[in-house]
Amino acid sequence: MTTTLRIGFVPLIDCAIPVIAQDKGFAEEEGLRLDLVRENAWAATRDKVAYGVLDAAHMLAGIPVASILGLGGAAVPMIAPVALGLGGNAITVSTSLFQRMVQADPDAMAGPRVKSALALKKVIAGSREKLSFATVFPYSTHTYELRAWLAAGGIDPDRDVNLGVIAPPRMAGHLEAGWIDGYCVGEPWNLRTAARGTGVIVATKADIWPDSPEKVLAVRRDWAGEHPETVAALVRAMVRAAQWADAPANREELAAILARPDMVGGSAEVLRTALLPGSGGMGRHVFFRRNATVPWPDKAEWLIAQMVRWGQATPPVDAAALAAAVFRHDLYRQATESLGIEMPGG
Amino acid sequence: MREADFSILVIDENPDRAAVVERGLVEAGYVRVSLIGTSGNMVGRIQAMAPDVIIIDLENPDRDTLEQMFHVSRIVRRPIAMFVDQSGGAMVREAVEAGVSAYVVDGLRQERIKPIVEMAISRFAAFDTLRRERDDAHARLADRKVIDRAKGLLMKRKGLAEEDAYALLRRTAMQQNRKLVDIAQSVITAFEMDI
Repeated sequence: MTTTLRIGFVPLIDCAIPVIAQDKGFAEEEGLRLDLVRENAWAATRDKVAYGVLDAAHMLAGIPVASILGLGGAAVPMIAPVALGLGGNAITVSTSLFQRMVQADPDAMAGPRVKSALALKKVIAGSREKLSFATVFPYSTHTYELRAWLAAGGIDPDRDVNLGVIAPPRMAGHLEAGWIDGYCVGEPWNLRTAARGTGVIVATKADIWPDSPEKVLAVRRDWAGEHPETVAALVRAMVRAAQWADAPANREELAAILARPDMVGGSAEVLRTALLPGSGGMGRHVFFRRNATVPWPDKAEWLIAQMVRWGQATPPVDAAALAAAVFRHDLYRQATESLGIEMPGG
Repeated sequence: MREADFSILVIDENPDRAAVVERGLVEAGYVRVSLIGTSGNMVGRIQAMAPDVIIIDLENPDRDTLEQMFHVSRIVRRPIAMFVDQSGGAMVREAVEAGVSAYVVDGLRQERIKPIVEMAISRFAAFDTLRRERDDAHARLADRKVIDRAKGLLMKRKGLAEEDAYALLRRTAMQQNRKLVDIAQSVITAFEMDI
């Protein structure tokens, strides 16, 4: 018997795992049929999972963590039984801001990219208008990465710049229109802007925090409790899809699948750049290697620490206990035992 | 504050649906209702308006922007939170299914907000039904054009009378257990290929 599940995704390269799970038959082998539903923004995706319009979704790792902390929205508790990869975010600034940064501090711009915001600090010191930056959601690694990058340059993210939120598919348009000066978003929305010449990538997630969590597959905690077999099947289908997506030999086909207009869409060339070995993008997207699918509780703990650092969560917070309750390493292990995956320290 | 004095902001990219919601609220006695569509300066307009209640379509990507804005209390004068149905969540589920979300100034009692959210849900649902009916009507019209064209081709190329052409299409559809419009489309394709 086949169980049909409605799975939400946002058009970003790291939606690859659920997309491939359905497209290459890994879901079917687990007795699942995935109805993939394309979403344009995170708040809607969160609410649809919280209220059962979707069974599961490709989601920012911070959203289920926030739900357990009772932050944001209706806060129906969600859990993450599997992670959907590492990497893929970058910070892009408008071409004119990039030129001002190079002029202001050529040494900082030539050095390690994690410190390129030192040049931005000089630009800010010399400009009357506050610069505006955007990330994709309050509780996103994008927010924490952008804030860390700014802080590494001696910039106070809450005082020295305007920091807002714009949904990923709208980001490039806002930069092009001049409404914002820079942003942190997942691919393909950085490479696309770079390809159009309207912006320049100044740092990637790999420069800032290579192993920080990114997206997870989120499900409602109650739903997971009621459907343990389905959750286990879903985890296995995701892990096998991740293995497929990581193989260099499959990347060309992966780019073609994601280029379909009902998936990520847009320029197939940009997707190839992001995914193919040797094209400068490989390494940004890790789907399986480096335990990229394991929902390690210490990663949720790191997210909670970021939420506390930037004033989103109010201490005291029992970070370790909450982290283990949301990133369900135990469910992942039970589900994948039969796949014979080696997990160091597991 | 009396209910009628609540300042309500409706944010919707679909101006027709926004107008339907607005009319419903005004008819129910809420007089301070404003509408905005997609706006480059949404944050500025919300600051200026200081609404008590915001009704926004669930799918609108501006919601991500709003949620950040409500976090940073110095941006808005009064803290705003997502409407949560504390009596068990049934109403929020209904709202999500209808495609409605609502944000309210913190501290406003839930039962005073409920009628507003209920109105938005029923108007969204009514709008959806209307749209579906209109789409169905369009589809039926398009089907009829295809069938008429197939009938015309059969009359002209096979010398059939109109009722015989129609009967042939119907009989074939029934025999093959397919829709009449599909058979008509096959006929058109066949004649276009000249076989």
